[in-house]
Amino acid sequence: MPAFLTAGRLRAAAVAVVAVVLVLLPLVSSPYVNYQVTTMAVFAVALLGLNVVMGYAGQVSLGQSAFVGIGAYVAGYGTLNGWPVLLSFVVACLLPAVVGMLVALAAARLRGLALAMVTIALPIVGTPVAKRLSDVTGGSQGLTVSWLEPPSWVALADDQWRYYVVVLIALGVFLLTRNLVRGRVGRSFAIVRDNEAVALSMGISPYRTKVLAFTLASTIGGASGFLYLAVVQYTSPETLSFGTSINLVVAMVIGGTGSLVGAVLGAVYYVLVPVLAGQLDASRTALLSGAVLLLVLFVLPGGLVSLPRRVHQLLTARRRRSATTPPGAPDGQAGTPALTSDGVAP
Amino acid sequence: MSYFVQLVVDGLATGSVYGALALAIVLVNRSTGMINFSQGALAVLSTFVAYAVVQAGAPLLLGLLVAVAFAVVLGAFVERVVVRRFEGGDANTAVVATIGLLVLVSGIAGAIWSYDPRPFPSLFPNATLGLGGVFVSVRSIGTTVVIVAVMVLLQLLFRFTKLGLAMRAVADNPSSAALSGLPVSRLLMIGWGIAAGLGAVAGVLVAPQLFISPTMLDFTLVYALAAAILGGLDSPLGAVVAGWFIGVVENLAGAYVDVIGNDLKIAVPFAAMIVILALRPQGLFGRRTVVRV
Repeated sequence: MPAFLTAGRLRAAAVAVVAVVLVLLPLVSSPYVNYQVTTMAVFAVALLGLNVVMGYAGQVSLGQSAFVGIGAYVAGYGTLNGWPVLLSFVVACLLPAVVGMLVALAAARLRGLALAMVTIALPIVGTPVAKRLSDVTGGSQGLTVSWLEPPSWVALADDQWRYYVVVLIALGVFLLTRNLVRGRVGRSFAIVRDNEAVALSMGISPYRTKVLAFTLASTIGGASGFLYLAVVQYTSPETLSFGTSINLVVAMVIGGTGSLVGAVLGAVYYVLVPVLAGQLDASRTALLSGAVLLLVLFVLPGGLVSLPRRVHQLLTARRRRSATTPPGAPDGQAGTPALTSDGVAP
Repeated sequence: MSYFVQLVVDGLATGSVYGALALAIVLVNRSTGMINFSQGALAVLSTFVAYAVVQAGAPLLLGLLVAVAFAVVLGAFVERVVVRRFEGGDANTAVVATIGLLVLVSGIAGAIWSYDPRPFPSLFPNATLGLGGVFVSVRSIGTTVVIVAVMVLLQLLFRFTKLGLAMRAVADNPSSAALSGLPVSRLLMIGWGIAAGLGAVAGVLVAPQLFISPTMLDFTLVYALAAAILGGLDSPLGAVVAGWFIGVVENLAGAYVDVIGNDLKIAVPFAAMIVILALRPQGLFGRRTVVRV
């Protein structure tokens, strides 16, 4: 490899290429493609939130869809009642945050299954509640809105304008979360995930850390709900259903747990798989999803994001094996697969 | 009064179904320490097998037997091929793995039988019994009786047979069971098989009411999980009693408390669960465990 191709420069080049592609993409592609890519950005944010609590802090949450749903409803209600967009956005983040924190204050004392059950309650109870509050939520019909049209001074079509707005906000959320999980907060998440007793002995309260993780996850989920309404212009109880929550967990694990890039890959998977499966047979989506998830858990526990590393690992292991007789198992992620990956790099 | 008794008996019947599935969850949890989120999906797939047998012209009872046999094999197969890999590993990964199974198994049912709900024949006549001015449906009584009978059989199996003793030993302490020469891995397969068979019975009994579809037991599973937690995850008796409790309470609350109504019934078990977990984290019948670090 030439000397000027250092890892840092390669990374900078990759970021530049991605940035250019992101800026140019909506200008050259069809409204349909723009819509799909924007939806990926929306779900990348939702998965990022789930990743904060499940991947980084190691607490099972099966209720992420509830926060996405609340965020979308707030944005819809705000639009229909003529709130300024900024106010809608702030409330769409704050209300889920408050709900998430209240639930976490009660649930963070529990662990494992009990925690999973309390978080399941959010979408399961949330769906009938959303139908019941039909004055605010439009009941089973849902809310249809028409907003976020490009201002007159911008010569962009609806889909292009929404793309830029959504991708920009999504990038902002990713940047903030990145700083958070790489810093002190991220380290406290990691230690609580790995060993609560050690966390306590270091003066980190596992309880407070978990509540913080849940609150962050629900805030980010609310933001993605706002973005969801911006793209789809419609929301219904389906958005916060249990099925959506399960699919979010599936997509997050497939993308890569405890990884920012994993959240993006998971979102690409989340959006693309129904499209691809729909071309064969729509009723096969679940079949495909379940099979892919189990396959990933078996051969690629770190998710899609770990694919390059895993391939590299297998190749070097083989090279070493052909060179010398190996002592026992191959290095790296052999043995029981763990959801924890190296997302919180020092 | 008559209406009240009716509500209670119907609640006991649905509660029995929750209890049966909760018992399956407890069996799996006791032997492998895992929570099987796919317990409902496995039961639905087995119920579809009964449906196929009935469609082929055979009587429902035969369908039930075939479904249970199928479920036992399916449960053992799933344990051996998929679940074993995640036993004793990271708990979150295990949860995700059984969620993957849930998606996959209901996906299989959906791909074969589509997602439209279909009517399913009942084992019991659609009649009501009058006892001193109180009318209760035969179906509710039948469901409760069958499930109680199955549970008694299971209890006999665990208490009075060598197989049951061996399974209890494995649940109690897998490594010392292995050291005493028990075939631990085979016993775990049998445990999963029995749990899946129990699920199949519950599925066939509840299918006439819910109409059979791949998502038929999604809500029942949630109730069953709540019952398992309420009763304490290591207590079979607790799971059953909690199942009845949830079935009766949600039925009464749905009927008598206006705010709750039929659509918000599902909030009742969660409210009960949260209250009980706050007061007694090990569940009503569970044993407190001490974790050494």
